[in-house]
Amino acid sequence: MIEGHLVDLVPFEDDFAIHLAAWMNEEAWFRTMIYDRREPHTENDVKKYIEKMEKNKRGALFGYQTKNGDPIGGVIYDYQGDRVWKADVMSFAGDTRYEGTDEQFDGLLMLIRYCFETRNLYRLEGAALAFDTVKIEQFQRAGFTHEGTLRQHIRWGGDYVAVEMFGLLHREWPGYDSMIEALGLQSSAIEPKPKPEKLEKKD
Amino acid sequence: MLKGLLVDLVPYGKAFLENDHEWENGIARFWSNLGECPIVSRAQVEARHQEWFESNESYLGVPFGVQTKDGIPLGYFGINWMVPHCRSVMVGAVINDPDYWGGGYGTDALLLLMDYAFDWLDMRKVWLGTMSLNERVMRQMEKVGFTLEVRQREAVYAAGEWHDSLLYGLLRDEWPGRAALIERFGLQARPE
Repeated sequence: MIEGHLVDLVPFEDDFAIHLAAWMNEEAWFRTMIYDRREPHTENDVKKYIEKMEKNKRGALFGYQTKNGDPIGGVIYDYQGDRVWKADVMSFAGDTRYEGTDEQFDGLLMLIRYCFETRNLYRLEGAALAFDTVKIEQFQRAGFTHEGTLRQHIRWGGDYVAVEMFGLLHREWPGYDSMIEALGLQSSAIEPKPKPEKLEKKD
Repeated sequence: MLKGLLVDLVPYGKAFLENDHEWENGIARFWSNLGECPIVSRAQVEARHQEWFESNESYLGVPFGVQTKDGIPLGYFGINWMVPHCRSVMVGAVINDPDYWGGGYGTDALLLLMDYAFDWLDMRKVWLGTMSLNERVMRQMEKVGFTLEVRQREAVYAAGEWHDSLLYGLLRDEWPGRAALIERFGLQARPE
């Protein structure tokens, strides 16, 4: 676990894996995985995805949860270069009650912190569908620079939409602690979800 | 086979695979692989070929070999990544022998590939990436009508310095067609 201000990064297992079967079929997932074909994801697809990410040598999927252990969603870095130390970063609020909250934003900050302060990457890249104002605002608030627009790039709901591209260099990152001090994140005090049934049985 | 004026696009078969060892160690790879200078043995190249042949992963690409009209293999032009439901393709290209740079061979091959993407595969966007150090490709993109859509700052390390990664895109309704561009550029078949 890596402890943050409002959320902690944890392994993507146990109740996260149980929640993912629902999360992978929600709009938040498809807005994050912008090239996904919006096919229904079965429990087997979910299992395969988690296994793929566990074996991924160029990236990882982590869960992020509130300080009282309520799973919010996932953060991902992927496609890390072997010569140029850069990676794509993605985050999603599977529990949509957290969409646009400071908890979700802190998940992104924690991912950036991990990539720069632990993995020592040089550059991070983020992408957001042009209408995804929450994601765009979060990238900008985290210090990313808007680097351009892939025009009419993704098929979405009967139309072609643009993808906004963002980049953040390591030297532009003031550090997680400085960001937290400057931004004054506030907890949304959302009531934690009941634990998934399978876990309750285990206990 | 896709027949052009100066080159043809053909299957990336034996004649091309046999050249890969020399090509992968050549100067063209620096430009096509964004500053990478591979030093690879023949065994490594053959292992990569074998991996490619045996791969079970769904590969949504279309590789072509590019050759002169009298059959000299020059390199690779192809679709590296296709997203069918978005009707977009990302393309990649390399002419390996510097003697064939600047003679219209790459332009002819690119027009064939774009014609294939738009008029045969019914795609609606072609896009590709290069680095800001590669002025030759940047000029070619502008000439053909691509729009520079994204400039990713310091995303490429080449020749000891950081450079920007550039993403160019061209939409179907911006594509005047291969014949119109051949006429505009004055491309003509020539004796080999």
